[in-house]
Amino acid sequence: MDEDVLTTLKILIIGESGVGKSSLLLRFTDDTFDPELAATIGVDFKVKTISVDGNKAKLAIWDTAGQERFRTLTPSYYRGAQGVILVYDVTRRDTFVKLDNWLNELETYCTRNDIVNMLVGNKIDKENREVDRNEGLKFARKHSMLFIEASAKTCDGVQCAFEELVEKIIQTPGLWESENQNKGVKLTHREEGPGGGACGGYCSML
Amino acid sequence: VATGDRSSQRLPPMAEPAVEGEPHLPTGRELAEANRFAYAALCGISLSQLFPEPEQSSFCTEFVTDLVKWLELPEAVLPTMTAFAKGLGGEGADVFAPILLKDPILKDDPLVIIQDLLSFSLKDGRYDARARVLICHINSFFRVPLGELDLLEETFLESLKETKEEESETAEASRKKKENRRKWKRYLLIGLATVGGGTVIGVTGGLAAPLVAAGAATIIGSAGAAALGSVAGIAVMTSLFGAAGAGLTGYKMKKRVGAIEEFTFLPLTEGRQLHITIAITGWLASGKYRTFSAPWAALARSREQYCLAWEAKYLMELGNALETILSGLANMVAQEALKYTVLSGIVAALTWPASLLTVANVIDNPWGVCLHRSVEVGKHLAHILLSRQQGRRPVTLIGFSLGARVIYFCLQEMAQEKDCQGIIEDVVLLGAPVEGEAKHWEPFRKVVSGRIINGYCSGDWLLSFVYRTSSMRLRVAGLRPVLLQDRRVENVDLSSVVSGHLDYAKKMDVILKTVGIHTKPGWDEKGLLLAPGSLPQEEPHRAATTSSSEKTTPGDSPKVATSTDPTRAQVPTGLDQEGASPPAATSPAKSPQICSHGMDPNPLGCPDCASETQGPCPGLD
Repeated sequence: MDEDVLTTLKILIIGESGVGKSSLLLRFTDDTFDPELAATIGVDFKVKTISVDGNKAKLAIWDTAGQERFRTLTPSYYRGAQGVILVYDVTRRDTFVKLDNWLNELETYCTRNDIVNMLVGNKIDKENREVDRNEGLKFARKHSMLFIEASAKTCDGVQCAFEELVEKIIQTPGLWESENQNKGVKLTHREEGPGGGACGGYCSML
Repeated sequence: VATGDRSSQRLPPMAEPAVEGEPHLPTGRELAEANRFAYAALCGISLSQLFPEPEQSSFCTEFVTDLVKWLELPEAVLPTMTAFAKGLGGEGADVFAPILLKDPILKDDPLVIIQDLLSFSLKDGRYDARARVLICHINSFFRVPLGELDLLEETFLESLKETKEEESETAEASRKKKENRRKWKRYLLIGLATVGGGTVIGVTGGLAAPLVAAGAATIIGSAGAAALGSVAGIAVMTSLFGAAGAGLTGYKMKKRVGAIEEFTFLPLTEGRQLHITIAITGWLASGKYRTFSAPWAALARSREQYCLAWEAKYLMELGNALETILSGLANMVAQEALKYTVLSGIVAALTWPASLLTVANVIDNPWGVCLHRSVEVGKHLAHILLSRQQGRRPVTLIGFSLGARVIYFCLQEMAQEKDCQGIIEDVVLLGAPVEGEAKHWEPFRKVVSGRIINGYCSGDWLLSFVYRTSSMRLRVAGLRPVLLQDRRVENVDLSSVVSGHLDYAKKMDVILKTVGIHTKPGWDEKGLLLAPGSLPQEEPHRAATTSSSEKTTPGDSPKVATSTDPTRAQVPTGLDQEGASPPAATSPAKSPQICSHGMDPNPLGCPDCASETQGPCPGLD
């Protein structure tokens, strides 16, 4: 089965404490939701193989702890990541405001500059929304990130978020081909297929 | 959820030493949660890097799982840690080390981690060789000198022995250091008694395990003593240091095994340590090297060292034969010429000097016998180690010549057994008359946790000579590097130290230094030696040669790269000058020229040869 896998991608999930990073991951990997999920300790790690446009990619997803006391650990995970999912809570404006800090950290610690970023506004099932969808979109556009709003609880947009991200990474061959030289043939073939793709610098679902 | 709560909760049981006037000492459990996480992650990733082989993965997983419990990390981190230990997602363990070093506790004393890891590794009364390799590896992240680990292990051991032992026996400097560490031991013991689920280690070579329990009770206090005195506790005590207390020296060959006539362990040192070293001698000669322990006078790998006495009769015969060969070639120039001939790789069966061939039968027979015996002895040793006669602690094997062959077959035998892992820490094979093809060494990766050192000398004419008729001649490990791609394998070119096979015994002190094995400090430097006896008056002379050789070999590791190696550098020039160009290799007609060079004292006025002979001459006499 592993032979079919085109590549292994390292994806990082970051964001303030309590925005639902682990819930998003849990929904994506196990398709479950736990409203009482405990705070992540250090980092959580999950592997999932997904298929995007007929290409299988193995995702090594690192779900970091948002809590301040684990911040010292976070920088160590950035190394070698190909994609980053930056999560905020649409019902808490402070988590949106702090996005700038996260982007700063991202710039500081990331080892490569062509890394694919995605902004996810979580918890859209809740009523008391504080951050408008357009605000998120604008922010994502400004920093050339992919953007999606999602809800781990209702499963809205979760699958999409990961798929979009992976698709974009695969379309950026420089990001991952160096470690998979022997599979380069597959890659060139793949690139001719979807052409421009659905996503430019950013995209909006929903 | 807060970290502060957690550590304060831990305080009551841990505060016991403080109550009695000792400072409260932190351990791994008292680090901030994030740092405990980093600590466990560092171990997990390191393990996966050190032991990527699939057969080791269960050990790695178990180790990390236990460590998570030991550090009182929430179970939620288990999946992540096991992923680390399986080699998933390891982007390099080194990222965690700087994080840990920022911790307020570790900043002052990074040894806390090592200390914690050591007591964790020992908590079940066994010391896995892989755990020790991991600790050494972690040590390097924190740039803690290896001596500190030895000191810790020593302290740990002492803490388990009677406390009355006086420090006066130890040297001044190490005593002071130890005193700093000494305050730990109460704490360690308490940690062990309370955390290890009621199991505690006890020590002293087991001779008086129950007595130790009583002695330890005074240290630990009544709570721990209950655990110690229990039947289970005593069982664990004996486990670390070998059954029935007698350990290796008490081992008696119960029946004649195969073709082996003699097989006993002789103590080289009187100390006790959590890891042991077994040295295996390759031959015995008359005079200074008539005992098995003689070549190992300088060895100081651990405080508890043994040498294996095996088949003295045959090894003596072999030694005599080797000397006969040497006297047959009384002319040193002849030997030097042979060395270069061998070095240049142009020795065919026909090109050996006639004088050597006439005495060939002298060596061939004892050599053949010893070759055979060493295989049997190696297999036997393997089963002794597998049955843990030495206790559950790491073993390092060092051997030269046929002793290295014993090790080779010991490893080969062990590799066939299921529970062969975690016993052997390092092995050092010097001038080994064994197969050097990488695929034969491949199984050893499973057995050896630490390093596999192959010390070779491409100019070893004697080794080349005894293999002259064998098809294996070109692949002998003692003559060339073993090209196995593994972190464990280290090939050390000893050409600058060893000029002939007999030097392996005579220059052992320098060789050990060269391959990076700890040796005793010079004789005059320190009046007190760890191993009394076995050191006659020659010692000052030995020390002198040691220091002079040190000067000639810059650094202590003329490793595989040989650009600075004087011996190798001389080879081409020497050959050019004597005009023995490559055709000599193929045409037998020209080979007498080499021989005549060999038999004639300095026949061609080759300055290289002349200068070279002056060096080893006195040594070889």
